[in-house]
Formats: sequence, C-alpha cells, structure tokens
Amino acid sequence: MVPVEFYFVLACVMFMLGLFGALFRRNLIMVLMSIELMLNAVNLVFVAAGRATGNVDGQVMVLFVITVAACEAAVGLAMVIALFRKYGTINTDILRLLRG
Amino acid sequence: MGLTANEFTVQFIGTLIKFAIVAGIALNIPPVMVWAERRIPAMMQRRKGPNRVGIFQFRIYGLMQSLADTIKLIFKEEVVPEGAHKAFYHLAPVFAVFPAFLIAMAIPYGPDIQVFGYTVPLSVIHVDVGFLFIFAVSSLAVYGVTIAGWASNNKYSLLGALRASGQMISYEIPLGMSLIPIVLIYGSLDLNKIVEAQTHVWTWGVFLSPISFVLFLISMFAETNRAPFDLAEAEGELVAGFHTEYTSAKFAAFFLGEYVSMFVLSCLASTVFFGGWQVPFFDVRSLDEMFGFVGVGALVGFMSLLLKAAFFMWVYVWVRWTVPRFRYDQLMNLGWKYMIPLGLINVVVTAVILAAVRF
Amino acid sequence: MPDFSLLLTHGIFHILAALITVVSIFVVASKHPVKSAVFLVIDLFLLAAVYASLDSHFVAAIQVLVYAGAILVLFLFVIMLLNLQPEQLRGLKFSVIESGTLLISLIGLLIMIFTSFRGVQTGLGDGTLDVQAIEAAGGNTYVVAIKLLTSYIWPFELASILILLSIVAAIVIAKKDKKVLTSSPSGQS
Repeated sequence: MVPVEFYFVLACVMFMLGLFGALFRRNLIMVLMSIELMLNAVNLVFVAAGRATGNVDGQVMVLFVITVAACEAAVGLAMVIALFRKYGTINTDILRLLRG
Repeated sequence: MGLTANEFTVQFIGTLIKFAIVAGIALNIPPVMVWAERRIPAMMQRRKGPNRVGIFQFRIYGLMQSLADTIKLIFKEEVVPEGAHKAFYHLAPVFAVFPAFLIAMAIPYGPDIQVFGYTVPLSVIHVDVGFLFIFAVSSLAVYGVTIAGWASNNKYSLLGALRASGQMISYEIPLGMSLIPIVLIYGSLDLNKIVEAQTHVWTWGVFLSPISFVLFLISMFAETNRAPFDLAEAEGELVAGFHTEYTSAKFAAFFLGEYVSMFVLSCLASTVFFGGWQVPFFDVRSLDEMFGFVGVGALVGFMSLLLKAAFFMWVYVWVRWTVPRFRYDQLMNLGWKYMIPLGLINVVVTAVILAAVRF
Repeated sequence: MPDFSLLLTHGIFHILAALITVVSIFVVASKHPVKSAVFLVIDLFLLAAVYASLDSHFVAAIQVLVYAGAILVLFLFVIMLLNLQPEQLRGLKFSVIESGTLLISLIGLLIMIFTSFRGVQTGLGDGTLDVQAIEAAGGNTYVVAIKLLTSYIWPFELASILILLSIVAAIVIAKKDKKVLTSSPSGQS
C-alpha cells in the first residue's frame, strides 16, 4: 500500500496552492475557488488518515466538510452577486471597506 | 486484495473486451436512432420517411440513410466562430460525450459469468455504489452543455446553455429522489444486486414503486433535453440552443452524447424498474446448465436488457412526436412545485410502509 | 507470484498525485475564472479517484456528485452571469502581510507533517478497516451510514439546519433590492 505520508504531502501541496490563490488573487470568485481547493486538501487528509488508522470517522468528517463547503459556496456567491450589483466590481483591491 | 497475476490478466483482458463491446454498441446507437426517429413518426403519420438510400438495389428500409448522414457530417467543413474561446470550444464536445460513455460502463448487462474459474461481472466498471456513481457522473453532463454555450460567444448559445443546465440541475433532484424508494426496497446501492432481487415479475420496481417510475420517466426526458422538455434547443426561439455554432464532427459529438445518454437512461430505467437482464417467468442463469455452455444465459440476459432499453428509446420518439413543448416557467413549476414534493412524499410513504412490513 | 495490486496502487497514486498537483497549479494560476472552474472540476474528479483508490467509494461518489455536480456549476453560473473579464495578473501585488502569512503557514504545515504524524503507522491496511473487514460489515456505504446516523447524529441534524439557513441566507442576500437596483450601474452584463 502507499504510505500515508504521501497523501499528506499531496494534501499539503494542494493546501498551499489554495492558500496562495486565496491570498494573492484579486478576483473574489477566484478566492472562493481557492478556498474550495484548501477544503479538498483537508478532505484528503481526513480520508487518508481514517484509512491508515482503520476507522470511518474520517469519511464521515468529509461528508460534513462537503456540506459546509456547499453552504459556504452558496452564501459566498450570493454575496459576490450582491457586491457586484452594488459596486460593479468584485476586485478585492477596490472592495476594501473593511480595511478602512 | 492480493490479486494474482492470473486473475489480474483475466480481469484486465475481460475489462478490455467488455469495454470494446459496450463502446461499440454505444457508438452505433445514434445512427440507428436517427433512422428510427425518422421512420417511427413517418409510420405514425402515415408517411413513408427516408426509404431510398441503400446499397445498390437493397434499400433495407432506408437504414443506409444514417450512414450517408454520418459521412456527410464528418466530411463537412468545420467553422469556428470568430470570438469563440478556442480551447473550451474544442473541449466542450468531449465534456458532453465523456459522462454518457462512463455511465454506459457502469450498467450491469448480464449475470456474472465464470471464465477459467474466475467470476467476471458483466459491467465494465463494477462499483458497490453503482447508483451514486451513475448520478455523480451524470451530473457532470451539465458541463458539456454550459461550456459549449459559453465558449461559442453567441447569445442564443448562451441562453440555450443556461436553460439546459438549469433544467438538468433541477431535474436531477426528482431523478435521484425517484430512485431512493428503490434503494430502500431492495436494500442495496449495487445495481447488480438490485437486478438479482427482481427475479419474479411481481418484484419488479415498476410494481413495487409505481410513483417512482412515473417520476423517473418524466425526469428522464428532462435530463436528456428531449421533447417535450427540449427548451434548450427550441428552434423557434434559440436557433438550435447550445450547439448553434457547432459544425461537422463536433456537432456529431453532441448528437452522440445525447443519444448515448438516452440509451443509458433507458438501460437504467429497465434495470431498476423492469428487472434488467432478467427474463419474465424464467431464470436466465439456468440456461447455462441447460445448454452445457457458459455464457448462453448471459447472452440471453443481455438481449433481454437491450430489448427493454429499445422499448424506452421508442417511448422517447413516441413522446417527442405526441406532446408539445413546455414553456420554461411551466417546466420549472412542474419540477420544483410538483415533482420534488411528490418525490419526497413517495420516499416517506415507502419508508413507512417498509417499516410496517418489516417489523 | 508477484502482488500486482501493490504495483497497481503505487502507480495509480503517483500518476494521480502528479496530475492533481499540475491541475491545482492551473486552478490557481489561470487568468480566466471559467478556466479555473473547469480545472477545479477536473481536480475534484481526480481527487474522487484517489478516494476510490483508498476504498472510500461512498465519499468518492459524493465528492463528484456534490462538489463537481452542484457547487462548481454554481460557480460557473455566477461567473457567466457576471460576465467577468480576465484578471490582470501582471498587477499582482505581493504585500508583506500576505507573503508573511503564506510563509508562516507553510512552515507551520511542514512542522505539522513532520511531527504530529510520526506516531502513525506508515503502512496502510493494517488497521481494522481493510477491504475484507468492510465487506464483512456490509460494504463501505453501510459502514459510513451506520457511523453517520449513530455516533454523529447530532452533527448530522445540525448540518441539515445549516443547509436550510444557507438557502434562506443566499436568497435574501442575492435578492434584487429595488432601491439598489435603480441606483446600480447599468449595462454591466
């Protein structure tokens, strides 16, 4: 069988790529998609670790993560649409009210 | 685990052969269906339909018309629209064809057969969550349509694509819900186990859960964007919908995807509701001993499934030439306000009845 | 007789891992959001294949069904609805705070990998959850379902409430406000 570390390294690479996208992309939708990538990396760790330690709790956790991801995507995209209607852009350099 | 070299070889070669057979059948569905879709309405409307093209004086009811059409389609000049997003424009037909073929691989076409002492299941991909696999893959079919419409850079294409994808997503829910009672009744997500449970005619899904069948049949038409739900390509409004800008072989690919997904859903309907490869009042697997030859039962079962699927393909054509096209708000109303609640009620009622029967 | 499954699983994993890495880079680095979304779909599909190779068929199916079939379609819809132009990646600014965050989390993740998983068995399949055990217990779906509906029943119910809340929230947020509509910049589509 493939050693469980390999899965963790793969998940780590995915997570870092997602984090890079979430931090450096200027398009809000791209930020949301990068977050989905990060969530998937976490899912991979859950499944691989659950398989290695011999229980299904990891898989159950993945189901919850997917549920939360679906909710996050729905609400996040609704907010993107609302922001676009209000400001006509979804560039995070322009939408910086929270930064003062 | 612990696959030995012999077993690996048998399974690998078996998978290749099964793959070739299923792909060959799936690729031959569109030409036959194009012919059927002209001849059947012609029969219904007391016309002749295409009956001229043949090989020399053998006209064989115009069956060669589809061959001529195919050759014409493939050798046509390909036009790529000016403002198209090139990569996606070329990729979209692949997205449209791939899910349909992948689902065709997961359907059990016959009972397990014994080859050199190894059990070979008669579905190319054998997964124990067959149902979920089919739903998962069929939900990918949306991408082909959406990307095709968007990449064509044409307002009719985009409108058709948005219509089609909205419709496909909406009707996936009643399609899934119509099958939950079946899973509850037979207690398995494995399609082969479901077929094996339908040995007798009165244990067929259509008798145990008739509402499910009606829901499935309606969503089946919507999922494949066929009449009366062919709003995605309503000629009067949208030219041809998402494939307006496609020509020659790429147009043929969309055609292929549509017909193969029709075939796959027909197979699924017969598998789930009409006993799949089972023959009524008769155990197919007993044929092997009767003839003393392995594979006779599997072959008869396969023919039985194809016959049932052919019936559903005929229903597709029949309905197309009988029922007028829905309006888009009617379609959405039907899906969200009637079929989804009905599906939910169906699930609850089935669960309650099953609980009452089993305890 | 050599064990073919060992060779097969190793080969499949390495091919899938390489593909996932490359596709993930494309997801993050594509200029056009639609390209990113399509690559993300491919990525999720490949991940589902990895889950399937870990004998988690149910999760693999749900991954494709929910993620690729529903969430990403939503993304694609919104991108097409807003008709976004490709981002100008040349103006990418590397601010100190963001670069620092990335660096610190990279270091933290590396530390996490090399410390917390040291005690875990490196080889898979010696736990109680090998293929035979799952088959004996009634299949992967059955095992997951039993766990989900007994030990995790309260989180499960909470998740359903969360979904309901997010449906309502999404509709309320995205609903067209009459006042905003009149003052919103027109001709955006």
